[in-house]
Amino acid sequence: MSENATHLRAKIRHRLGALVLDVGFELTQPWTVLFGPSGSGKTTVLRAIGGFVRPDAGRIVAGLNQMTLVDTDARVFVPPHERPVRTAGQAARLFPHMTIRRNVSFGAGGDSDPEKRRRLVDEVLELFCLRPLAERMPHDLSGGERQKVLVARAAASAVTEGKNLLLLDEPFNGLDLRVRDELLEELHQWLSRWKTPVLSVTHDVGEAFLLGAEVIKIAEGRVVRQGPVATVLADERARLMEQLAHG
Amino acid sequence: MDFAALWLTLRLAVGTTAILLVVALPLAWWIASGRGAARALVQAVVALPLVLPPTVLGFYLLVALGPLSAPGRLLVRVLGHPLAFSFAGLLVGSVIYSLPFAVQPLVSGFAAVDGDYVEASAGLGASPWRTFWSVVLPLTRGSLLTSAVLTFTHTVGEFGVVLMLGGNIPGATQTLSIALYDRVQEFNYAAANRTALVLVAVSLAALLLIYSRRGGLRRGDLV
Repeated sequence: MSENATHLRAKIRHRLGALVLDVGFELTQPWTVLFGPSGSGKTTVLRAIGGFVRPDAGRIVAGLNQMTLVDTDARVFVPPHERPVRTAGQAARLFPHMTIRRNVSFGAGGDSDPEKRRRLVDEVLELFCLRPLAERMPHDLSGGERQKVLVARAAASAVTEGKNLLLLDEPFNGLDLRVRDELLEELHQWLSRWKTPVLSVTHDVGEAFLLGAEVIKIAEGRVVRQGPVATVLADERARLMEQLAHG
Repeated sequence: MDFAALWLTLRLAVGTTAILLVVALPLAWWIASGRGAARALVQAVVALPLVLPPTVLGFYLLVALGPLSAPGRLLVRVLGHPLAFSFAGLLVGSVIYSLPFAVQPLVSGFAAVDGDYVEASAGLGASPWRTFWSVVLPLTRGSLLTSAVLTFTHTVGEFGVVLMLGGNIPGATQTLSIALYDRVQEFNYAAANRTALVLVAVSLAALLLIYSRRGGLRRGDLV
């Protein structure tokens, strides 16, 4: 992936109760982390890009061919399924009537070649260590396992049918830290092989550093700063170190 | 045993159920996902056969489909015979009469599907069409079965509409419920009893099919 390619340009204004979201940013790095405390508007930003929130005003342009997803002035609003964007949101659900394999396969559904699709699904299941669970139903899995399947399904979907931006909202919430760290690294490598850009939401400093990623820090609906993680989250890291030292 | 009437009743019930599933699916989906005045009006019209006496419905259909009205005359010209007093006419009447029984269970079924499933599906790039067939419909298959069985049994049990619209022509428009009425009029209680038993058996079997099903999806299906 060329470092200078723009994956997404977004300007979003949206009123959400007491919070007025007013953000503008560009995604140029393979993996960008949207970082901020809860209630800062992170999830709304993600949902606006995914097409599940209609911003009061703004413009969102995505992909190499600069497809306009939202332009409130020109009354453009592309529905979610037609966007070059794949989402594993916070409220995402596994389909309860499908096995784990079929759930992941549903994500990869756009690929018409069934053999290619099967290989991709196997690869993703392997990557997430879900092979032994492939034929089980969602209700047979633990919360952490289901969380992994959600991310696996979205990842499989993102690499199918052209170039998509993958949106992950707190993707490894509730996962054991060691498991999370391993998975994040593997997923990071795998997705960069597919040249699939990611925007993930977190409030966890460790996660942002682990990805060594570009960070957009937002607070109270505004972008505070954007840049490499070591610069943007230097204060947070120092505070964390201090806590560890004194803890 | 009145086999002609039994055969006719089954054909009518199967035909009505098949037509109504095709009609009711998109209609119920539209009602469940729609809003506003148009939705309220459509819901009221769909529910009308529930409260109207079947004879009122049958009467209007008889007038509308008979050779004395403009649409009826058009039908006569196209079909070569009036729709009233024919099997096709019965089918039209049954479809309208059973419409609420087909639509209502599906509307509740669709409305009960968690919107998060639909959103998850769209977030994976699935078109609304694919989401409907692969996600929504499988999650509402209990309602689909209820809709089909209620339509079927309701059609089997029809009396007023069929009598008004079909007349009482053995082999052409005489259903079991009307044959039963005829037997009673003839004081042939033994034959009436046999016909009534068949009606009870068919309805009971259909209802057992609904109630013996293990209730839909199990708990813990949520992530």
